[in-house]
Amino acid sequence: MSINLAQSHSNAAPVSRKRSEDRAKPYYRTYVPYLFLIPGLLLYFLWTVYPLIYQLYISFFDWKIMPGQVSEFVGLANYQEAFADKTFWLAMRNTAGYAIVTVAGQMIVGLALAILVHRVVVGKRFFRTIYYLPVVTSWIVVSFLFIYLFSPGNSGLVNYILLQLGTIDKPISWMAGADTAWIAIYSLGIWKGMGWAMVIFLAALQGIPTELYEAAAIDGADEFGRLRFLTIPLIKRTLMFVFVALMIGGFQVFLSVLMLTGGGPLHRTEVALTYMFDEAFGKLNFGYGAALSYILAIVIVIVSVLQTRLFGRQSQEVEY
Amino acid sequence: MISTSRSQQRLFNLFVFLVLCAGVVIAAAPLFYMISTAFKGSAYVQEYPPRLIPETVTLENFETAFTSRNFGRAFLNSAIVAIATSVLVTMLAATMAYSFARFEFRGKRPIYRVLLIMLMIPGVVLLIPQFILASNLGLRNSLPGLILVYSAGPLAFNTFLLRGFFENLPRELEEAAIIDGANSFTVFWRVMLPLAAPAISTVAVFSFLGAWDEYVLALNFLTDETLRTLPIAIANFRGQHSTNWGLVFAGSLTAVVPTVVLFIVFQRYFIQGITSGAVRG
Amino acid sequence: MKTKFLLIGLLMLGLVQVSLAQEPVTITFWHTYNEVSPENQTLVDTLIPQFEADHPNIKVQSVPYPYDGFRQALLTSAAGGEGPDLVRLDIIWSPEFAEQGVLMNLSENMPDFDELAAAVFPGPLSTNAYDGAYYGLPLDTNTRVYIYNPELLAKAGIEKPAETIDELRAQCEAVKATGESAFVFSDGGTSGWNLLPWIWSFGGDITDEAITTSTGYVNGEKTVAAIDFLHEMIDSGCFSDGFVGSGIDTWGGYFGGTIASMLEGPWLYPSAEGQYPDFEIGAALMPAGEGGHISVVGGENIVIGAGTKHPEEAMEFLRFTQSEAYQLEMSKVGQLTVLTSLLENEYFTDHPYYGIFLEQLQTARARTPHPRYTEIEGVLNDAAQFALRGEMTAQEAMDAAAEEIDAILAES
Repeated sequence: MSINLAQSHSNAAPVSRKRSEDRAKPYYRTYVPYLFLIPGLLLYFLWTVYPLIYQLYISFFDWKIMPGQVSEFVGLANYQEAFADKTFWLAMRNTAGYAIVTVAGQMIVGLALAILVHRVVVGKRFFRTIYYLPVVTSWIVVSFLFIYLFSPGNSGLVNYILLQLGTIDKPISWMAGADTAWIAIYSLGIWKGMGWAMVIFLAALQGIPTELYEAAAIDGADEFGRLRFLTIPLIKRTLMFVFVALMIGGFQVFLSVLMLTGGGPLHRTEVALTYMFDEAFGKLNFGYGAALSYILAIVIVIVSVLQTRLFGRQSQEVEY
Repeated sequence: MISTSRSQQRLFNLFVFLVLCAGVVIAAAPLFYMISTAFKGSAYVQEYPPRLIPETVTLENFETAFTSRNFGRAFLNSAIVAIATSVLVTMLAATMAYSFARFEFRGKRPIYRVLLIMLMIPGVVLLIPQFILASNLGLRNSLPGLILVYSAGPLAFNTFLLRGFFENLPRELEEAAIIDGANSFTVFWRVMLPLAAPAISTVAVFSFLGAWDEYVLALNFLTDETLRTLPIAIANFRGQHSTNWGLVFAGSLTAVVPTVVLFIVFQRYFIQGITSGAVRG
Repeated sequence: MKTKFLLIGLLMLGLVQVSLAQEPVTITFWHTYNEVSPENQTLVDTLIPQFEADHPNIKVQSVPYPYDGFRQALLTSAAGGEGPDLVRLDIIWSPEFAEQGVLMNLSENMPDFDELAAAVFPGPLSTNAYDGAYYGLPLDTNTRVYIYNPELLAKAGIEKPAETIDELRAQCEAVKATGESAFVFSDGGTSGWNLLPWIWSFGGDITDEAITTSTGYVNGEKTVAAIDFLHEMIDSGCFSDGFVGSGIDTWGGYFGGTIASMLEGPWLYPSAEGQYPDFEIGAALMPAGEGGHISVVGGENIVIGAGTKHPEEAMEFLRFTQSEAYQLEMSKVGQLTVLTSLLENEYFTDHPYYGIFLEQLQTARARTPHPRYTEIEGVLNDAAQFALRGEMTAQEAMDAAAEEIDAILAES
C-alpha cells in the first residue's frame, strides 16, 4: 500500500477530479448502489435508529414498563427535572473528567510506547502483542481483576506493593473515597486502552520515511526537537482520529464504574451512564432515564463536533 | 544513521528495551495475577501476603468450571454467535462501505452523516427499546435473534473503517474488470474484497471479539439455560453473598484464551487494517 | 348409526383429552443460585426431578441468574411481556414488584392460599403483603447472627462474646491490643442489612408502624444514638471502615484472625468448610441494646409472574416448594426453612448451627414492606454515610433523611 503522508494528499486531488468526469457515465444501473446499501442499512436502522426514536418517545412520559399500564404524558418535565438534577450534572462532570484524564493518559502512554517499540531492535512483535492484550480482554473480566487488585487491606496487590515500596504506611481503602476510587477507575481505563493507541501510532510512525529523520539530524535537531517538529506534525491526522475515538469511548464509560464502585460512595463516582442505569432499573423511572440518555447523547455529539472543528478536520469527511 | 558512536547507540537500544520490559510487567502483571489466582485452590478470601506464584498449583477451579452444567454449552453458543456475527457484520459493512466509497447516489451525504452521529450514542441506552422490539418480532430467547442484534450495532463504525480503506485502493484493477464486462457485484467480490483483506480481517476479528464478550444484551435476551453464552456462565460463578475468585478467574481465562489466540494468529493482517483505516481516515 | 357416531365422537374427545393432558407444559423458574452451589444442585438434580415424576405433564426449567443482573433482567422481561412463571425473589423487592404489576396476587387466585400461609413463619410471610393482599409465599429465610472468633477473643483475654452493646464497646481496647489492624467488629456498608440490627437493637426505627411518617423515628433519639455509636466505634478504630465502603474483606479478616466478630448468615458455614475446615466459628445472638437482641430478616419469596401463561402449573410447583420434603432438602444446603412444623424435625433440633439462627429469627424483623423501600433505603444509606464519615453530625444527617423519606411516603 502506498505511504500516505500529508504531502501526498495533494496528489490525490487530480485523480478524483478525473473520476467525477467519468462519473457522468456510470457503468452500473442506478439502483445498484442501493442494492449494496440497503441490507446493512436496514438492519442498522431497525436495531439502532428505531429504538433510539422510541427512546425519545419514552422520554416524554412517566413511562411504566408493564404492558397494559398507562403511562402519563409529561411533556418536557423529565428534561426539566434533568437540568435541575444536581447529581446528574455531577455525573456529567465526572464523565468529562474521566474522558479527559484517560484519553490524555492513553494518548501519552500510547505514543511513548509506540515510539519505543518503533525504536527497539528486537522483539517488536512480542511487545506489540503484550501491550495489546488488555485491549482484547473483556471489560467485565478486567473489572473483576481490578476489584481484586485494588482490594483494601494489605492483601490487595496494589496495597501490598505500595506498602513494600514505602509509598504508603497504611493500606488504602480504594473504593471508600472518591479520590482513591478514581485512581483505580482511571488506571483501569488507561491500562485497558493504551495498547490500542500504541498500535495505531506505531503504524503511523512506520509510515514516516527515515530520510526525514536523517535530514533533521544533519540540521542539528536532537531527539526532542525531532519529536516536536517532525514526528508529531506528520502524524497529526492519526492523533486526531485517536483523540476523537477515545473521547467518544471515554464518555461512554459504564461497566467498569458500575462494577468497581457502583457510582458510590454517595454518588461521588457516578458517571452519566451509571446514573441513567440506576434511575431506570433501580428506581424504575424509565422515562427519566430515557431523557438523561438523550441529554448525554447530545453532549457527546456536540463535544465530538467541536473537537473536529477546533483541531482541524480530516479532509476526507468534506469531499464526497 | 544518527551521528553518535556505536556503543552509545547500543546503550540507547538497551535502555529502550528495558523500559519496554518494565512496561510489559505493568501491562501483563494484572493478567498474570488472574492466571495465578485461577490455579490456586478454592479462594473466597484473598491470601496474605499476596503471591504471584501460587503455593500449590491446582486445576480444581478449571475442573469445577468445565464440569459445571452448561459451561461447555455456553462456550459453544458463544462461538456460534460470535462467528455468525463476524460474518454478518463483515458482509454488511463491506457492502455498505463499498457503496459509499465507489458510488454516487441520492441521499448519500445525509445517510453517511446519520451513521457518523449514531457512532456517538452509547449502546446500553437502547436496551429496553431493543428488548421490546425483539420481543415483538419473536426474536428473544433465540440465538439468531441475538446474532441480529449483535450485528447491527457495529455496522456504523465498521462501515466507516472500511470505506476509508476502500477509498484508498487504486482503481485500476476495478477499471480493468469493468472493461472486461464485469458487473458491480463481481467487481466487489472478485476485486475489492481480496484487495481489502487486511481491513476485512480487522472487521471480522473485532466484531467476533465484540460478540464474544458481550454481556448485558445476552443476559436479558436469553432465558433458556441451554442457549446462554459464556460471559453469563462466568458471571453465574459469582455468589450472592460470597465469590470464589479462583473459579471466576478460571472461567474468565477460558474466555480470554481464544481471544488471545485469535489475536496472535491474525495480528499481522488486522493491525495493518486498523491502522490504515485510522492513519488515512 | 347414531350410536356409532356418538362412540366415535366420544373416542375422539377422549383422544383429544389424553393428548392435551399428555403434552407437557414447561414452566420457568428464575433464581440466583450460583451455578456450582449445592443449592442449585439439589434443586436441579433432586427436587425438580421429584416434582416432574409426580407431575408428568409439567416440566420445570430452572434458570440461574447472576445476582447483580437479576433485577434488571426481571424488569426488562416484564417490560417485554415475557416474564418468567416463577421467581425466587428477594423479599425486599416484593412490595415494589407487586405495585408495578409484575406479580400475581396469590391470596386472590390460589384457593388453598390460607392453608399455606398458616404453615409459615409470620415474619417472612409479611414480606409478601401489598395493599391488603399477598403476592407470594416465603421460600427460604435467613437472618444475621453475631459471629465471633473465640480464639481471638481468648487472645484478648475475653471469655465470652458480648451479650450487650455496652459489653461490646468495653471489649474494644482489649481486641485492638492483640495486633495491628485488629477490629472488634466489621461490616461492609450501610444498607438496611447492615444498619437495621443496630438501629433496632438500640430501640430505634425508620418509620412508624403504619408507614406514614419517618419524622421522630429515623431521626428520633434512639436511631440517632445507634448511628452515633457506629461513628464513634469506627473513628476510634474499634469497628472497621468497611462501613464506609472501603470494601474490606470482612471474611478474610475474620478467618485471618484480625477481626473478632461480624454479623453473618448461615451461608458462612458451608463456604468456610472448604477453605478453613479447622476454624472454630462462634455464634450468638445480636448484642442487645435497649430494644433487645434484634436482627434483620432476609430471605426470598416464591412468586408467580402476573403474565404467566401457565398459572395452574406454576401454582402446583409453588405448592411443592411449600412441602416438607422440599423445605427439608433445601435446608440441608443452607436454605433455612420457613415452615413452622419442620422445627420439630430432628434435623433441626440436632443441627450444628441452625439453632442460633432459628432463635434469632424469633425476634428478627423484616425491612419496611413498602413498594418504594429501595429508594427509602437509598436515603438511609446516604445519610448514614455522611454521618459515619463525619461530614455531618448524626442528627443532621438523619434529619435530612427524615425529610426525604417523608416526601417519598407522601407520594405513594
